[in-house]
Amino acid sequence: MASDASRKVVVHLRATGDAPILKQAKFKIAGTDKFSKVIDFLCRQIHRETVFVYVNTAFSPTPDELVNDLYHNFGIDGKLVVNYACSMAWG
Amino acid sequence: MFFVCRSFIIFNIELKIINRETTLLDIRYRGGSSISLHCLQLHLLSRMISNTATCDGSLTSSDFHMAANAFADKWKKFNSDFPEWLWIDCSNRLGFAAHGVSDGYLSVQKVFFQTSLKEEHGECSSNDCEEPFDDATLSSGDDGHWYDFHLVYSSSYRVPVLYFHAYSSDGQPLNKDEIEKSLSTESVNVLKESKWTFITQEEHPYLNRPWYTLHPCGTSEWMKLLLAGENRTTENRMEQYLISWFSVVGQVFGMRLPHEMLKSAC
Repeated sequence: MASDASRKVVVHLRATGDAPILKQAKFKIAGTDKFSKVIDFLCRQIHRETVFVYVNTAFSPTPDELVNDLYHNFGIDGKLVVNYACSMAWG
Repeated sequence: MFFVCRSFIIFNIELKIINRETTLLDIRYRGGSSISLHCLQLHLLSRMISNTATCDGSLTSSDFHMAANAFADKWKKFNSDFPEWLWIDCSNRLGFAAHGVSDGYLSVQKVFFQTSLKEEHGECSSNDCEEPFDDATLSSGDDGHWYDFHLVYSSSYRVPVLYFHAYSSDGQPLNKDEIEKSLSTESVNVLKESKWTFITQEEHPYLNRPWYTLHPCGTSEWMKLLLAGENRTTENRMEQYLISWFSVVGQVFGMRLPHEMLKSAC
């Protein structure tokens, strides 16, 4: 169980709308990391201050969510697909 | 003057028919001015477009009522340690009774948030953290804020809008600066960086008092993304609408939806 928790999770970043596509769309991240790490990484990659991220075209995870939790609940085919767009944030 | 009023009434009758019936061809147009005919045609056109497109991110007021009920039910089922959302019916409001549609908003009161400073230092006892809504926390002094949230339908933007009212333990309302200070660092960043994201004070459409609100001008744009799932019926999509919507706006206040609730939206 402990090894399961420390395993790395494959995150697939998928651009939607006018968002720039990443050269490397898939990367690994420690499951114990918070989702905010994914957001920060993405912001750096696409040179944006904010980005709208969502999972399973259904909801937007909070930054303090653990990657492991998201992967176990919403992972498909051994990876967590995260869509991103440069649309406006809430508001 | 009489003429304008008359055509307005006819226009409303026609709209009701459109909302009730799925087929657009049966709608008869009864008299009235060319202005209302034009309006009706425009409405029909937009209605047809939104029917053929997958989803434009907006919803109708009757859809909103349905979505609100579904949201409140799921919230009660999966998030029972949180105060319940209640539908406040306002259909008897003066001037709105004639519409025949249920008019109202979803409300939750007395949501307690620890001030982030205290949370970071981990000073709150485990009891406080697990049951932040316990009445006993009232006596614990000035270490948190209380929020009332209302989900109100905006007929201009055709999306739900979050209205909120914040106050400290002694009942003193918080001003905008105090609210922004108590938000999470992520929310503060978004407020700072995103040009079209802001908290404004507006008249509450039902209470007619100034409430804070998140401006809805961008809502349909990101809701379009969240509702883009292909294998969904329109009804199913409307039921999930508020769950998807709240997963975004709840983040402003660090509110997280339980995974079970989000799963039901997938």
